[in-house]
Amino acid sequence: MGNSGYIRQGWLVLVLAACFSAALAGVHIALSPRIAANKRDETYRQVPALVPGAVRDRTREVRLAGRTVYEAIGADGRRVGWVVPAAGQGFADRIEVLIGLDAAGETIAGLWVLEQKETPGLGNKIVEDAFRGRFAGRSARADLTVTKAAPATGQQILAVTGATISSESVCKIVNQAVRDFRAARSATEAGHAQ
Amino acid sequence: MDTISSLILIAIGAALINNFVLHYFVGICPFIGVSRRVDMAFGMGCAVTFVISIAALLSWTFTYFILQPGAPLTAWVWRLLQPDATGTVDLSILNYIVYIFVIASSVQLVEMYVRKFFPSLYKSFGVYLPLITTNCAILFACLEIMKHVSADGGAAAWGLHEAMALAFFGGVGFTLAIVIMAGIREELDHCDVPAPLRGAGITLVVAGILSLAFMGFTGVDRGLAEAIRRSPPAAGSPEPGASAPAKPAQRSRP
Amino acid sequence: MPSDGPTPLERFINGILPENPVYRQLLGMCPTLAVTNGMKPAMTMAAAVAFVLFCANIITSLIRGLLKPHLRILVFTLTIATFVTIADRFLAAYVYEMSKQLGPYVPLIIVNCVIICRCEVCASKQSVLTAGADAIGQSIGFALALASIATVREVLGSGTWFALPVLPAAWPDWVIMVLPPGAFITLGLLLGGANWIGQARARRAATG
Repeated sequence: MGNSGYIRQGWLVLVLAACFSAALAGVHIALSPRIAANKRDETYRQVPALVPGAVRDRTREVRLAGRTVYEAIGADGRRVGWVVPAAGQGFADRIEVLIGLDAAGETIAGLWVLEQKETPGLGNKIVEDAFRGRFAGRSARADLTVTKAAPATGQQILAVTGATISSESVCKIVNQAVRDFRAARSATEAGHAQ
Repeated sequence: MDTISSLILIAIGAALINNFVLHYFVGICPFIGVSRRVDMAFGMGCAVTFVISIAALLSWTFTYFILQPGAPLTAWVWRLLQPDATGTVDLSILNYIVYIFVIASSVQLVEMYVRKFFPSLYKSFGVYLPLITTNCAILFACLEIMKHVSADGGAAAWGLHEAMALAFFGGVGFTLAIVIMAGIREELDHCDVPAPLRGAGITLVVAGILSLAFMGFTGVDRGLAEAIRRSPPAAGSPEPGASAPAKPAQRSRP
Repeated sequence: MPSDGPTPLERFINGILPENPVYRQLLGMCPTLAVTNGMKPAMTMAAAVAFVLFCANIITSLIRGLLKPHLRILVFTLTIATFVTIADRFLAAYVYEMSKQLGPYVPLIIVNCVIICRCEVCASKQSVLTAGADAIGQSIGFALALASIATVREVLGSGTWFALPVLPAAWPDWVIMVLPPGAFITLGLLLGGANWIGQARARRAATG
């Protein structure tokens, strides 16, 4: 057979590879804008729910200290708040959240869980309104902690029954992200003021 | 210390907590087919670990340097051809095709190696060695690496060491699961299994119980990360977080 | 023209139950276990597999005269990988949430033994019509298998079917069913059930 035999056999593979590559390139050009829009919408869709008064399509992406945060803009074109993506280790795997803050970055306006793989029926109740709603209206100036009994102070959040570690993980993620965001903002503002 | 701790966490995650067979359901076909005897199962596990490591090495290299959006080699070639062009070249549409060819080549390589140096093992494998190409576990490892190389979100992109840790210890976890299953099946041969369940049926039920047992490992990596994070006794210095986004912050411990 | 192998109709009917890819041939277990925790992901996966199987069978059958023995697996793999990429992109573009839920299991269709097996056994040897009928039959069989497992897991595990509640709210969800152990045990027991039906039928045919 020899080497020329393989080339003669291989021409089919090469022709097919060329045709398929062309098809794939076409699919890529046609669909990748749509896929990129889908990815972006995952975050943008939550902005009006997280920051009251925000208009979804006016949201602006801002780079702050090497991370991407989103500025929520209202109907009058002025900033009504911020949406900060954050992530960290939960009980089972990574948890990714979006935190809504008011325009000054002083109060938490809302929380949305993008991704979690916590225990179904227990830990994954962190996605429900009952738990997420407990974050709304909390001050962003101090850390939040989790409690199993009724919350005594304004900085305490009632944990999900039977999922203390998942609830604590969400709190830790929120605390870290809000702290980093406020530090980065004051640094930027100090830089602007000079 | 930070790199080693993150590597340990990836390794434990891949081998025990998110075991490829018992948690991610990949590699089921050889799991059911080759788990009759412990020695064959161990041999298959080692072969799969070998192939998965080579495939991970090659696929990480291809993904990082050529395929991902903005990859160095592709960008360089593109700049040569189109010096004024802006924007990034994204060859990631070819990911799956490249991975499956990498896997097929790795299996060929391993087959040649085993045939030359372990001829008796090669004969006992028979048709199962080339069938490793269709083993979902290897493609799954490549896909996991792809997910982490094109970094988005807060986590840093995986380097070669993290990719190899995932692949090798994923293979170790597969070997662990298949050897345990072989040991159990050798015992089951002496039991009176109902006729409809003989073979694949009882294997799957036993696999379910094994999977339940492995679920007990959940949270071990998290506890380990906490322990590692607390052990360096540096007061006031930023402590590296093993799984959280790497951004040192001045924390006031309550 | 003398028929070479089963007719298109035979291929179609065989694929649904007698040669069901999951219950009889024991192929394609990975997606069967992974995506059957709900009917919606299961049916999306079945649709993706149907698309890839159909296109791969048609293309393989069209070029079956040109296939050389050494390179045919390579050609099958190339074809399947291309169509899986196309299916994956379409899912990401039009049903993004479901695509994220299915995750790595859509690209794993490439190494799904069902498709390579059908290309090898049927499409590379028979006409386009037969290959197409075979693809449709096997896809229906695969979808039925996925549906049976997903129904059991979703109804017992979440009390819903296609995300619509079917059991009263007082039902304590058997959470284990939507977790990996439940997948294994459900498939094992259903496989045992299918074998029992097959053996009972064979016994009746032998005695009756």
